[in-house]
Amino acid sequence: MVHLTRKLLSGITLAAMLGVAVVSTQANAATLHMAWSQDATGLDPHKQTAFSSLRLLELIYEPLVRVDASLQIIPAIATSWEFSKDGKMLTFKLDPKAKFQDGTAVTSADVKASFERILDEKTGAAARANFLSIAGIDTPDAATVVFHLSQPDVPILTAMSDVNAAIVPASEIKAGSIGTKALGSGPFKLDKWDPNAKEVLSANKDWAGGATGVDGIEISVLPDEAAILAAMRTKQIDFALLNDPLVATLVPKEASLQLNRVPVLAYHVLQLNPSRKPMTELKVRQAISCAIDRQEVLDTASLGEGKVTGPLTIPALATDPSQLFCYKRDVEKAKKLMAEAGFADGFSATVIGATGEPPTAAAEAQVIQSQLAEIGVKLDIKMMELNVYVDAWLKGDFDMAIALNGGRADPYTMYNRYWTKAGNLQKVANYIDDTLDSQMQQGRAETDPAKRKAIFGKFEKHLAEMSPWIWLYTSYSYTAQQKNIAGFVPTPTGTLFSLSKVTIQQ
Amino acid sequence: MRILRAIFGHGSGRIGGVIVGVYLLIAILGLVGLTPHNPITQFRVDRLHAPNGAYWMGTDLFGRDVASRLMAGIGQSFTVAFFSVAFATLAGTVLGLAAAWLGRRWDGVVMRIMDVLLAFPAILLALLIVTVAGPGTWTSVVAIGIVYTPIFTRVVRGPALSLKAREFVDAARTFGSSSSYIVTRHLLLNLVAPLTVQVTLALAWALLTEAGLSFLGLGTQPPAASLGLMLSDSRNLMETAPWLMIFPGLTIMISILGFNLLGDALRDILDPRMRRVPA
Amino acid sequence: MNYLMRRLATFPLVLLGVSILVFVAIRMVPGDSITAMLGTEAGLLTPAQRDSLAAYFGIDQPWFIQYWRWIGGILHGNFGISVTYGRPVLDVILERFPLTLELALLSMIIALAVGMPAGIYAATHNEKPSDLGVRIVAMIGQSTPSFVLGLLIIYALSAGFGVLPAMGEFAPLWQDPLRNLSQLILPAITLGFAFAASVTRISRSAMLDVLSDDYVRTARSKGASARSVIWRHALPNALIPVVTLSGIEFGYLLGGAVIVEQIYALPGLGRMVLDAILQRDYALVQGAVLFIAFNFMIVNLLVDLAYVALDPRIRLGEQ
Repeated sequence: MVHLTRKLLSGITLAAMLGVAVVSTQANAATLHMAWSQDATGLDPHKQTAFSSLRLLELIYEPLVRVDASLQIIPAIATSWEFSKDGKMLTFKLDPKAKFQDGTAVTSADVKASFERILDEKTGAAARANFLSIAGIDTPDAATVVFHLSQPDVPILTAMSDVNAAIVPASEIKAGSIGTKALGSGPFKLDKWDPNAKEVLSANKDWAGGATGVDGIEISVLPDEAAILAAMRTKQIDFALLNDPLVATLVPKEASLQLNRVPVLAYHVLQLNPSRKPMTELKVRQAISCAIDRQEVLDTASLGEGKVTGPLTIPALATDPSQLFCYKRDVEKAKKLMAEAGFADGFSATVIGATGEPPTAAAEAQVIQSQLAEIGVKLDIKMMELNVYVDAWLKGDFDMAIALNGGRADPYTMYNRYWTKAGNLQKVANYIDDTLDSQMQQGRAETDPAKRKAIFGKFEKHLAEMSPWIWLYTSYSYTAQQKNIAGFVPTPTGTLFSLSKVTIQQ
Repeated sequence: MRILRAIFGHGSGRIGGVIVGVYLLIAILGLVGLTPHNPITQFRVDRLHAPNGAYWMGTDLFGRDVASRLMAGIGQSFTVAFFSVAFATLAGTVLGLAAAWLGRRWDGVVMRIMDVLLAFPAILLALLIVTVAGPGTWTSVVAIGIVYTPIFTRVVRGPALSLKAREFVDAARTFGSSSSYIVTRHLLLNLVAPLTVQVTLALAWALLTEAGLSFLGLGTQPPAASLGLMLSDSRNLMETAPWLMIFPGLTIMISILGFNLLGDALRDILDPRMRRVPA
Repeated sequence: MNYLMRRLATFPLVLLGVSILVFVAIRMVPGDSITAMLGTEAGLLTPAQRDSLAAYFGIDQPWFIQYWRWIGGILHGNFGISVTYGRPVLDVILERFPLTLELALLSMIIALAVGMPAGIYAATHNEKPSDLGVRIVAMIGQSTPSFVLGLLIIYALSAGFGVLPAMGEFAPLWQDPLRNLSQLILPAITLGFAFAASVTRISRSAMLDVLSDDYVRTARSKGASARSVIWRHALPNALIPVVTLSGIEFGYLLGGAVIVEQIYALPGLGRMVLDAILQRDYALVQGAVLFIAFNFMIVNLLVDLAYVALDPRIRLGEQ
């Protein structure tokens, strides 16, 4: 009886393997097989903020403008735009070819309805915080939209490049179907979505951006990234988004695979809580900044995949870290600062982190724990489930937190929530002074790029010196692909939008 | 003492006994801190070194000595395993005997409560306990203990019900032995065999569950070492640093082998009716 | 029959207990549907926005009212809508369940088919080297954590042989049996192998137990052959602990083998519950736990009925 069972089992396995071989070659040659480990959590482009959701929605919906690989604003639904002289009026001209996926044209009425929806508190759109300066929206004709701003707001253009500011059909807003039905103007239509399992996208023939390189995309959700790598090895998957540097660095070792890496705007940071003793003392915070070897954290936790960074991660505006306060490890100086603050014997604190978000969080915490032990700071590490972490983080209920925070193409959009007096997340940052606040406000209103660079340069230096947080490094956005996939251009925002022009070479 | 001699007289018991004994020794050394290096100290210049003269089992991502971490990890994992299984065994035996012996109504009540616990997804239970009590060693002990109590209850109840119906219990009753005397003497003696097997099984499961909890981020907190956490951390380094998976993996395998062999030997020895089975 | 009726009558009470436990448990854990959707961006919400989202997720009312509404819905067959899937909870669960059921059955078959013969063999050859050999081989499967075993299998197959069962699109049994089995065979082996070892040891132990029983020796002394003793007398009684263990394990597997489902990317019940917990999809978690609890209780009932069949001397609670 046992023999028979064993034979049966091996027979089934063999047959199964053959079955697999047959199935793989049947796939449509013009369909891109993609995989990622985290799935979108919803379809409403105004409500969803998770990175994984944005990656999907960026293929289906379009905003007025977008940013390219060098973080310049380029046309999307709008072909041109102009600020008025006083900076309080922003006029867009829409692309007459822009159509939603059901064939209807994108008009100024849709733009107005979309932004009104974002601004409506009932929607619960987190991005609303970026558009508070909009006082009114005019639609003089079907292809023109005028935004009236209550004050000059240069960063608003960058905020509008986010898919959280996507233009959705006014009719769908009326019907209340945003979030249940995905109807955008982007390069791909959502045919099917099985949450946490699979998405099927097909090319939007009416897309104003032209023809897409592939007929469709099938995205499989494979929670384990090692399994994604295995599936790529066996050519089941053509293209994948990877989060974990430990897995990503294995890709170049495969002859048939290619790894694309691009530095992103998101930054790894150790957030201190300046409202808790003894981090209320500037010198203590500075001591911590001097005691941490950022390069070593990067080398150990992320295998060196990234670059040490100051507060600003936008390449055009970032200051060279060597010019920022204590970016070269100086344990002696740190000990001196601690002694001056009255904490020569150090102190104990807890650092919280989210398990797996990012995958390197626990490793970063352990390196920092070891480094800070040298100046007498005894850290207790508490890793917690993401939501539990978020809950504690939002309440500011932590001594220190290890985080990966999202970046934006404009410093004001990126940091006004933390480092202004009225910032929504002041209760998380727990630090503000007049200098920071005024620098942020100046940067918001200044239109001249050279002057903006100078203002934000000063902002960055001041922030590094006050050390409410310890900025560590920026890492990469990783995508892995078969070598026969051509045309993918990674960008620092992490968007996968260039999949619209990707082709599969035979 | 007699038992020890019996274990060493038993074929597989000898092997099992030696394995478990050695591990217990290592565990104690690990818990007390008598390891080649400090398990937490990071020698970052020597990160990810394969086994060599200075680091017999290599170093991990942070340059920590794997051998030292392994010893500390054995101490940690064994502590969790022993205490959680002790918890479950005690609670389960009491509840199982109560269910079997005290009659229909109590049987119903106890088993339904056990059903509720069993039916509840272990992850949610673990998440809840960890959130309320904070992650750490004793939280893992309580979480695993609670999850395993229903199994022990069931395992004890089954044979207890069966034994209750056997002739010799009736016979003992006829001779006037009081109820509690019958319970303690006959039932417990006859439960030793299935319980011993179940305990060693549970110890193995507890080690694996601890690994599973660490995989989900709910178990031992870094930088403390536990076998489960070491295995979980080694997953994505499997191809570049296989020693990080091999040593903890082998350790778990051999320790489970030891538990099982020892458990089987104990079972054979302690079973009052054990005779040579005619082939 | 009487027993069956009485057991079934306890179901509503137990399910009520489970419903309260899960309802409270998932809400006691910090973080809610809003933080699950927005993460740290939730800090940007105004109070009015927060209220609006709370109403959307159905978490704006006090617990008591939420519970009342939920239970009321269940009594009408409505388990609520999953915010993640945008569909009725029961639909989502029933979609995922066949995979989990199939995986559980396959794993059990492997475990029993391999474990029981091995255990019986070991028992009848007790103390011989083959006894030890069988037990050691069985233990190897049991002593590796499932995520390690699964990863090693995937790695060995993909890097060593260049093959891998198709991941991502799961084929139901009735649509594409070959592909379906190819996707489930490795997870079933991963799960079944581990379980087989337990079955081996329990079978061995129980067989040894029974083989030395008085009435067995009596039967042999009366001239019954070794084989008939094993098959007709020893085996049925040895099965009781095996049934106990198998029942519990099957019940667990019906709740979804989370880790194996994660690694092999199977859209099963276990992963669904984990994701629902992480995304704070309260209705789905609650509905799924009730469903799993119900299955458990059915399985336990079947196990208890099996006791009676195997050992007629057991009168279940009718003493």
